[in-house]
Amino acid sequence: MDSSQQKTFRGHDAPVLSLSFDPKDVFLASASCDGSVRVWQISDQTCAISWPLLQKCNDVINAKSICRLAWQPKSGKLLAVPVEKSVKLYRRETWSNQFDLSDNFISQTLNIVTWSPCGQYLAAGSINGLIIVWNVETKDCLERVKHEKGYAICGLAWHPTCGQIAYTDAEGNLGLLENVCDPSGKKSSSKVSSRVEKDYNDLFDGDDASNADDILNDNAAKTPSFSKGIINDGEDDDDLMPASSRPRQRSHILEDDENSVDITLLKSGSSLLKEEEDDDQADNIHSLPLVSSQRPFYDGPMPTPRQKPFQSGSTPLHLTHRFMVWNSIGIIRCYNDEQDNAIDVEFHDTSIHHATHLSNTLNYTVADLSHEAILLACESTDELTSKLHCLHFSSWDSSKEWIVDMPQNEDIEAICLGQGWAAAATGALLLRLFTIGGVQKEVFSLPGPVVSMAGHGEQLFIVYHRGTGFDGDQCLGVQLLELGRKKKQILRGDPLPLTRKSYLTWVGFSAEGTPCYVDSEGIVRMLNRGLGNTWTPVCDTREHCKGKSDHYWVVGVHENPQQLRCIPCKGSRFPPTLPRPAVAILAFKLPYCQTATEKGQMEEQFWRSVIFHNYLDYLAKNGYEYEESTKNQAIREQQELLMKMLALSCKLEREFRCVELADLMTQNAVNLAIKYASRSRKLILAQRLSELAMEKAAELAATQEEEEEEQEEDFRKKLNAGYYNTPSEWSQPRLRNQVEEEAEDSGEADEVEEKPEIHKHSEIHFQGQNPFSKSANSSDVSTIKSGAVISSNQGRANPFKVSANSKEPAISVNTGRSTNILDNMNKLPKKSTALNRAASNDKSPVIKPLIPKPKSKQTSAASYFQKRTSQADKTDEVKEENPKNLSSETPALSPQNTENQRPKTGFQMWLEENRSNILSDNPDFSDEADIIKEGMLRFRALSAEERKAWTDKAKGGAASDGAEAKKRKRPVDENNETERTESQKEKAKENQNLPKKRKPLDLSTNQKLSAFAFKQE
Amino acid sequence: MDAAEVEFLAEKELVTIIPNFSLDKIYLIGGDLGPFNPGLPVEVPLWLAINLKQRQKCRLIPPEWMDVEKLEKMRDHERKEETFTPMPSPYYMELTKLLLNHASDNIPKADEIRTLIKDTWDTRMAKLRVSADSFVRQQEAHAKLDNLTSMEISTSGAFLTQALNYMYKLRTSLQPLDSTQSQDF
Repeated sequence: MDSSQQKTFRGHDAPVLSLSFDPKDVFLASASCDGSVRVWQISDQTCAISWPLLQKCNDVINAKSICRLAWQPKSGKLLAVPVEKSVKLYRRETWSNQFDLSDNFISQTLNIVTWSPCGQYLAAGSINGLIIVWNVETKDCLERVKHEKGYAICGLAWHPTCGQIAYTDAEGNLGLLENVCDPSGKKSSSKVSSRVEKDYNDLFDGDDASNADDILNDNAAKTPSFSKGIINDGEDDDDLMPASSRPRQRSHILEDDENSVDITLLKSGSSLLKEEEDDDQADNIHSLPLVSSQRPFYDGPMPTPRQKPFQSGSTPLHLTHRFMVWNSIGIIRCYNDEQDNAIDVEFHDTSIHHATHLSNTLNYTVADLSHEAILLACESTDELTSKLHCLHFSSWDSSKEWIVDMPQNEDIEAICLGQGWAAAATGALLLRLFTIGGVQKEVFSLPGPVVSMAGHGEQLFIVYHRGTGFDGDQCLGVQLLELGRKKKQILRGDPLPLTRKSYLTWVGFSAEGTPCYVDSEGIVRMLNRGLGNTWTPVCDTREHCKGKSDHYWVVGVHENPQQLRCIPCKGSRFPPTLPRPAVAILAFKLPYCQTATEKGQMEEQFWRSVIFHNYLDYLAKNGYEYEESTKNQAIREQQELLMKMLALSCKLEREFRCVELADLMTQNAVNLAIKYASRSRKLILAQRLSELAMEKAAELAATQEEEEEEQEEDFRKKLNAGYYNTPSEWSQPRLRNQVEEEAEDSGEADEVEEKPEIHKHSEIHFQGQNPFSKSANSSDVSTIKSGAVISSNQGRANPFKVSANSKEPAISVNTGRSTNILDNMNKLPKKSTALNRAASNDKSPVIKPLIPKPKSKQTSAASYFQKRTSQADKTDEVKEENPKNLSSETPALSPQNTENQRPKTGFQMWLEENRSNILSDNPDFSDEADIIKEGMLRFRALSAEERKAWTDKAKGGAASDGAEAKKRKRPVDENNETERTESQKEKAKENQNLPKKRKPLDLSTNQKLSAFAFKQE
Repeated sequence: MDAAEVEFLAEKELVTIIPNFSLDKIYLIGGDLGPFNPGLPVEVPLWLAINLKQRQKCRLIPPEWMDVEKLEKMRDHERKEETFTPMPSPYYMELTKLLLNHASDNIPKADEIRTLIKDTWDTRMAKLRVSADSFVRQQEAHAKLDNLTSMEISTSGAFLTQALNYMYKLRTSLQPLDSTQSQDF
């Protein structure tokens, strides 16, 4: 045809979408936006036929399909037109619709059709990225390949000879489909039930070892960057090699799926042995279930490219201005533009070292910074080997720099600095240790290619590739070594848990020395040394991000105070060097459930507190110094949280939960819990808790006893010398005697009968390590100044008082190590009573006076006692006394009903008498509390004899009803008096007027405490 | 209040600095400050920030509103409105002046910010003059001026009240004069 000749075909009413010349140059087919597909006679430019096939539109841009039609090559017998979801084939000359090719998998309009050069096959591309190949003769679908990203296919071209199709998509990518249809397998492949996935290469890869390299090369050469697996390279062997084994395989598939699977497996397994690159081994294993589920093509996980080694706190290497390190010590920036190649080192704390500027002639790429030194490393070049450069600025001699050359072909990939040492991991899977002064130390092999390293003190934290990850996951391992005097490996190549489809972005230690890391999903994980060195996610930085593409770039982790220091980056993963980014602080939050509720919140707080104080144990274990106060504070915080949780569960009537919570508490907190339980009248709970407390005490004693066996003797002596009564685990035998002596000492005939009883109870307390005595003790301690109270009690409630006082040293002996804690916890009661009070106030409308259930209570009381006494070896006596106690108690209905009716203590009697004096002296005293205060001062000023006289008088006056109960109540009541405000007193007074039915509860200290609780009303 | 006093008050405003030293909490009458961790932002009063900056002990982080875009918006808004618009800080003028004088190296586009703030200030002062003028002209008994900062009040407050005082005196003395005159006639 003469190229100068122009012909115009008129007829389309809208822009033309596509054209196709008949191979015989007779016809020309065109598709247009007016919705018609026409065939023109080229010779006379007349329209041979027109089909209204397409959707009308006004412009090419708006056309749904570009409708690239095509004539069958060579003969031009058929014209293929992609119309919506099928390809219409028209016969030449007759222009009749011969048949349609379609497939169920086509979900979107087809864009383009192309004939294979042989004219046997027809490929079509859809606007959602599906490429389908049919055999035109059989109308069978041979291939279905989905574009990974679903971009519209806008161009298809067959390889002139091989079964390959090149395609382009609307986003500008070029892709290649290989071995699209193998000539011999046409029939069978039509039976392929499932979509042909792009990535079955792993299964068939290397079927023929001779071809393996080719495949790999093909892979490397042809894989476009965007699509990992669109190339079905696994099968291209068939095209290249004499088709022998594969076709048979295919037919096997037809006949018997299982059989074929076996063969495939065998083949691939055996070929793997031959193959050099055996990465796919794991892959094959993965593919097993898929294959057996009647899917003859590999559709399993794809290996993830391994992440490159990185330095924590650095920004990508390709940037001209980048951070080499940003850590808690300072910042190293690297400028690498036309004018300058330099490194800037800046310290957060200028007192460590002044800022420095280095020229970067060796082209250092990795760096680390510590209190002592700057460490830099560069990769090898053609002439130079990889170098490690250390600027040891804290050195006291004059030469502050050293450089070490790595052996040939060994590149440094990651470096880190610890205290007094430096480490470099190289490409030869070696880890080289140096002293900070430049002496070479240990060298050892790494189990895999290094990802990153971090150092802190004596600890070295290495993350490396354990293997190949799949489906976007990385497969990392972690080693944690201690390079101190005692060198040991803490984590021996454990897997490093990462979020799915994420990679590692930051590795380091908290300022306190706990290993932490961050993955690309922004999850910060911390080593939980308290739970067998597991990793706990402590923060999700993405939660704090406003936008989807915003990230936090972590620069440091601090456990005390709990701070995650990071730089907010808008729309990127890392910050630019200018403008200088500012550090933000994020709070940690453990991923606990239901943190919207109070319960979840407190649980989260509690466990966070536990995790973030694990480092203290570590420090203690490794002989580092740490502040005792921090630990005490942590324990207090935890116990307070537990108490709050207990109070909450109590409110929700979850008593079992309360016991579980109490199990986590320390002894002192358990005592408070018992107090709280009895105050909120959960007596069963209180009982359970006290059992728990005893168990705990026993455990504690058991562990402590071994440690302190030797010291025990001394302690006993000391205690006996120092205290009148020394009730404790080891002085049980003595106790009785002493109690009896004491009873005699008090020398009160009228009380003698009751006395031993009391003592026995108190003994029980002592022997069982009863927490009540301790709780009394703690409140005693807090109000120990109320001397008047104590002295007024001296005669009668003496055993209690003594027990209270003497208990304390006993405890401190028992708990030895935790003395400080206990001391500290003594402050707690006040707070928690406030809390309890608040809680009980809340509850007060709900709580009605207890419905008396005397029977059950007595039985429970009895059992309670039995348990105690069996431990105390005094079963008989107490059993005898139990009924007696109960009967003697019952008449005294409500202890405090009688309490305020007449003065019972010496002080109160004295106060009655002297009230007028006080009032006349201080006419402005309108408040009862003031009067009592003043009275107390005065009473205290009295001589011991006088006081005793009053006390005696009071005792004489006290009736026998409920005297016992009162006695036991006294310490608490008296304490209350000092603690409480006037209003409460008045309330109590009002109470006496109210007719209230109160049954005595347990004879044990529960009663005392419940009385205490009643008084609250 | 004169300008110096207002500035003194403004120095109590908190600004964020990044110290390059380490110091535990310091306990002052006005409240506790710190702890200072190198590299970690901390809020301190302006007077301390400037003091530390002068000794090169810290880097200043400009307040959030001290940003060219935001200030442009603020200036335009101020120009468009008849009345005074709320300012980002009650001491915006003082803060700008002090920060730009002492820490302009830590504030990006310091010159632009200076101009913008000055523009805003001028607009506001013009508004104040206009309203004072109309107030005097119409012999109003009272006027309401919202969103004025103390520095702005200090510029005209003392003068205006005194002037009004004199005018009142003049007016009141004028009237009796009239009446006496009429009586004389």
